[in-house]
Amino acid sequence: MKKWVEFFERYGVLIAFVLLFVISAAIRPDVVLKPENLKNLVNQNVSVGIIAIGMTLVIITGGIDLSVGSMLALSSALSLLALRKAVGDHGSEAAASLIAFLVCVGSAAAMGAFNGLMVAYARIVPFIATLVGLVGFRSLCSGIAQGGEIRSASDTVFPALGNGGLPVPFLHIDGGGPLVITYGMLLFVGCAFAAGFVLNWTKLGRHLIATGANERAAVYSAVPTKRVKFIAYALMGVFTGLAAFAQVTRMNSVASGTMGQYYELDAIAAVVIGGTSLSGGKGRIWATVAGVLMLGLISNILTINSDKISVYYQGAVKGGIILAAVLLQRSRSE
Amino acid sequence: MRSVLRLFYLGFSVLMVLVLASCSGGGGGGSAGGSSSGKKLRIGVSIPAADHGWTAGVVWWSKQATELYPDVEWTVVTAETSDKQIKDLEDMMVKGVDAIVVLATESAPITPIAEEIHKRKILLINVDRGFLKPVADIFIEGDNKAFGRKSAEYMVQRLGGKGKIVILEGIPSTVNTDRVEAAKAVFKANPGIEILDSQTGMWNREKAHDVMQTMLLKFNQIDAVWAQDDDMAEGAEQAIKEAGREKQIWMLGGAGKKEIVKRVKDGDSMFPADITYPPSMIAIGIHQAVSVLRDGKREEIMKFMPRHMVIDVDMILPDNADRYYFPDSVF
Repeated sequence: MKKWVEFFERYGVLIAFVLLFVISAAIRPDVVLKPENLKNLVNQNVSVGIIAIGMTLVIITGGIDLSVGSMLALSSALSLLALRKAVGDHGSEAAASLIAFLVCVGSAAAMGAFNGLMVAYARIVPFIATLVGLVGFRSLCSGIAQGGEIRSASDTVFPALGNGGLPVPFLHIDGGGPLVITYGMLLFVGCAFAAGFVLNWTKLGRHLIATGANERAAVYSAVPTKRVKFIAYALMGVFTGLAAFAQVTRMNSVASGTMGQYYELDAIAAVVIGGTSLSGGKGRIWATVAGVLMLGLISNILTINSDKISVYYQGAVKGGIILAAVLLQRSRSE
Repeated sequence: MRSVLRLFYLGFSVLMVLVLASCSGGGGGGSAGGSSSGKKLRIGVSIPAADHGWTAGVVWWSKQATELYPDVEWTVVTAETSDKQIKDLEDMMVKGVDAIVVLATESAPITPIAEEIHKRKILLINVDRGFLKPVADIFIEGDNKAFGRKSAEYMVQRLGGKGKIVILEGIPSTVNTDRVEAAKAVFKANPGIEILDSQTGMWNREKAHDVMQTMLLKFNQIDAVWAQDDDMAEGAEQAIKEAGREKQIWMLGGAGKKEIVKRVKDGDSMFPADITYPPSMIAIGIHQAVSVLRDGKREEIMKFMPRHMVIDVDMILPDNADRYYFPDSVF
């Protein structure tokens, strides 16, 4: 019996995901099992997924980052401005896209480092320190865009990065084209492996866990907790920059008011659904990825079955499923 | 240990409820398909979430229109952001819809996916907010320039060509720009009209209330408010009443919210008129999608269908307000 409980605690999120998937496939097998739907399930959640991976690292240290949605919007906006300038100056879309990529990740990393400074060295609680970014980065983004949209200057290379990818042999979409594994999906997988490697196989990973589990004990064990926290937020910035690039190439534009809105909440929800404790000290990257896919699956189910569930009640159903998923894996009574 | 089981059962039961809800709702499958080929038509409707009165009206009207055609398998979904809307549209394509009716949350981000829909030869009907490329089969929009011009002309006429006004702007967007610029052009052509201030109320009642409060403190004399939107007009009205100046200031909202139309009809002195910008245009789009596809003659019908329909706006005055009053609507 004890084994059974442990099994649930460890793999609850996977069980919940599989259960939900089986149910949804039973309701509409003709749609749910289409290869294109499975691709969409991953591809639609690339940005939130990459952010959730970074968020897992931050939450393991006992912190939180509320600024990621606004950071995604601002770094995307800066990236598009760089793209427009570069296309205007040189005309080569490929070179301009590379510059846009560097600006996107670089600016987000700088914003992440700013958060890290606030939390680790200025000792502002993470909730407030990153709330500054949530409000501030969004406002700067709106200011750059004059409250409206920023449109891309690249019509071929840039959107191809967002929507193109490696074609899967023998599989086709409804329109007749080949099914592609997008570059964003590859990036998502790459980020997951990188973060998993750092967390499980490096000194930094052990330090992240030690800092979150018991900060004072970590200090006494000669863990440089300030630097560890700083690095966690800076890495969060890098991940957000990658997520932003995936998103901005996909949309080929920035909607300054709404791009990335609520991503911080989706990412945090995915991390928690994956079983990572908000109080820090433990967490698993693969479980976060499962949490992200689970959230994506819920939206997918609601859209596919919207003829059965009225739009007004979809939010309530979504909340109910999240609750069920979390209850399912909380097997040990406190 | 018992609590473990209890939690598990609770979780499971929530999932079961979902299954039951899904199955019981799907009873419509038995009726005969609407298209001539015998296959059931599938149509997707993607609209912004009901975050203010007008969009709530859009959601309501889309329900009215889809319920007229129970033989169609509808996918009606709302989105808070363009990111969510893209997901919705992708899911619709996987579902194999024959047509999609879209009121875009934002123009530019939705354009790439609209191109993809167009490439797949799915009938694409775009309502109110246009795409950046001409990929829609039919584009239906309200005439925002006429909205600005007609409402401003009414205001000038009612003020007798002389008075001090303030302008409430909406969320920065092409819709707002078209309206405000057309209105300002009319006001500028009448030198007796003085525009004291122009501030954004974000098409939001609370925001409009706060902005109006500040403007009332700034200006001792205001004759009228060009509020552009009925939600904003109601917010401004509250601020004016709090300041006790309801006898001196009147307003012109917009969109034809039923509460405002009722007050125009009843001859309320603060609301002498209103101007339409019907959220029911989504119903026109939905109706067009069905009528183009229903008999399997899409190509023949698209030969004569207009590609761009502009819906005129009308002034609502006490003597014609009955025509624009829908007491059952949410908006």
